[in-house]
Amino acid sequence: MKPLLTLHYRSLLAVVVIANLVLLLNLGAGDIKPWNAIVWLDIAGEGGAALLSLIWIGLILNSRPTGRVTRLLVAGLTAIFLAYWQDVLDEFIQLPAAITWDHWLESGAMPLGMILLTLGIYHWHREQQAINRQLLKRERIFREHRSFDPLTPLSGAHYLREQLTLELQHPQQPVSLIMIDLHCFDHSRRLLGNADSDRLLRELSELLVLNLRQQDLLCRYAGDRFAVVLPATERTVADKLGQELKQAADSFAFKTRRGETHAVSVHIGLAVSHDDDAQTLIERANRDLARTLPHRHQAA
Amino acid sequence: MAGYLSDQHFIAAHHLPAALIDLAQDQGEDLHRLLRHTGLFREQLIRGEARVSAREYLQLIHNTRQRLDDPELAFRYGQRLFPGHYGAVSSLLGNAGSLAQALSVFTDFPALISPLLASRLTLTDEYLCLQWLDSCGAGSQWRFLVEAAMTGVASVTRWLSGSPLPWRFQFSYPCPPWPEQYQVHLGEPLHFAAQMDAMILPRHYLDQPWPQRAPTAWLAARQECERQLSNSGAPYSFRHSLYRFLQSRPADPPSLQESADHMACSAATLKRRLAQQGCHYQQLLDEVRLHQAILWLQFHGYSTEQVSRQLNFSDTTNFRRSFKRWCGLTPAACQRILAIAMGAPNGG
Repeated sequence: MKPLLTLHYRSLLAVVVIANLVLLLNLGAGDIKPWNAIVWLDIAGEGGAALLSLIWIGLILNSRPTGRVTRLLVAGLTAIFLAYWQDVLDEFIQLPAAITWDHWLESGAMPLGMILLTLGIYHWHREQQAINRQLLKRERIFREHRSFDPLTPLSGAHYLREQLTLELQHPQQPVSLIMIDLHCFDHSRRLLGNADSDRLLRELSELLVLNLRQQDLLCRYAGDRFAVVLPATERTVADKLGQELKQAADSFAFKTRRGETHAVSVHIGLAVSHDDDAQTLIERANRDLARTLPHRHQAA
Repeated sequence: MAGYLSDQHFIAAHHLPAALIDLAQDQGEDLHRLLRHTGLFREQLIRGEARVSAREYLQLIHNTRQRLDDPELAFRYGQRLFPGHYGAVSSLLGNAGSLAQALSVFTDFPALISPLLASRLTLTDEYLCLQWLDSCGAGSQWRFLVEAAMTGVASVTRWLSGSPLPWRFQFSYPCPPWPEQYQVHLGEPLHFAAQMDAMILPRHYLDQPWPQRAPTAWLAARQECERQLSNSGAPYSFRHSLYRFLQSRPADPPSLQESADHMACSAATLKRRLAQQGCHYQQLLDEVRLHQAILWLQFHGYSTEQVSRQLNFSDTTNFRRSFKRWCGLTPAACQRILAIAMGAPNGG
């Protein structure tokens, strides 16, 4: 992935150019103060604030794609930066009393920047709500970005165990766990190559999410094995959902980069909680899955 | 035969190390950060001329693990390792006509196919046991290397034989916090904290013919591999060469001077070379004898008394004490663990 910062070189360039223009304007209109008239404490305070707002711009640009929300946030922060920047320059350069634009820049840019930033944050919040709705079936209750799986947009086995532990705190409600394993994925990976087989896992995860209910959670357990947590779900319902997932995956016609169809099929294992903790429930689901796997032998 | 040293530059950077670099780059990692302190540069890599030492290869693994803190990394690396694109040795492995031929690539040409991990193959009437051994002082990367090598061998043998082989896996270390990776990428049964890092299979799989066999290509590739080794140096690392020498004499361990003579260096040099890998002579000697004792206990059904006699201990009490010092367990406790690993009916 390219660093996001490179997408925004125009915005960065604009900030640098405006800062330089302000500097030139100041130098052109005023005179540099004598050394003993400079107040270092003010410079440290205002300069520090200017520097921090620059860092915020950098962090935001580096973490976001281009778009309306990014533009608003950066415009707001740039205005705030300019207000502080003029403040800092004032400490070095004495402008004649007849000039008023420096006051406008100092006192006008700040509220303008605040308004733009507020607008930006508001839209960012709206955007996040939309993303949250999309993520709903992939993460529940709390977010832990460290548990994100680098390969698919799902969480991994660690998150699965945490969520199962939470769900199993209500012993009166049975929790079902479905394990989904791709048929002979090792073989597929060698046929498809690394890039396509990784994409296959990603696309399959999208497909599985589409077939889940609002309250269900999909995780990637490891490799080509997925896990679905079905809270408050009896065996009959879980069985039916499992079959639906299998049907959906079995009729998935994955397309390779060359446009060829690679058919996949999956195996399903199911366990319904019954005095279980997360570990034993996972173990039982895996054991149920192993029954259906043709390519794994049974332990003695 | 001296064996290659961990700071000797002989590993083609565009072979095994490049597979790891490609994997990390697929996940969006920056090449320059991966290559930090490895003595490698992008331009050299692409030209295919760069050779790295075992230590630099380990540094690359260290860098990649730092950047991609993901327990699946070793397994994904393992899946890509074999047969790989490493010239003659890859075509040798790819044209293997049976498991015996495939495993001989690992036991005979570790310098070409697996420079950081040597392997030791033990055959009995019932079982074959492929054990992985430290070649160059892997230190904290040991578990990563074992995970990758086992995934690689399990995957390539499944691919070449046309069907999955029912490997059992045994590990010297306790179960890490990601058992799921082992379950999915290797498959059960898995036995942790069981003294050695080995893959076990019923013996009869060894000579079953594989579908893709190409005997002539195999022979030609084998000659080419031998030629490569005679040009560039030794098939085994210094440490593994010494291990093999000690392994040949478990009952009467050679003195430091004898070993140094065998390795064609002075006793001081031998000590220094082992020290570079965080190892010393007595430690290696103990390791060899422990491994031998375990193999006898696990695969040959020897009793503690028999093992003690075979290793030339004056009495079993002495042997028990030494064994406890080697691995922290009494021979009886160890035997119970090994019995479980072999799928004994009383095992849980």
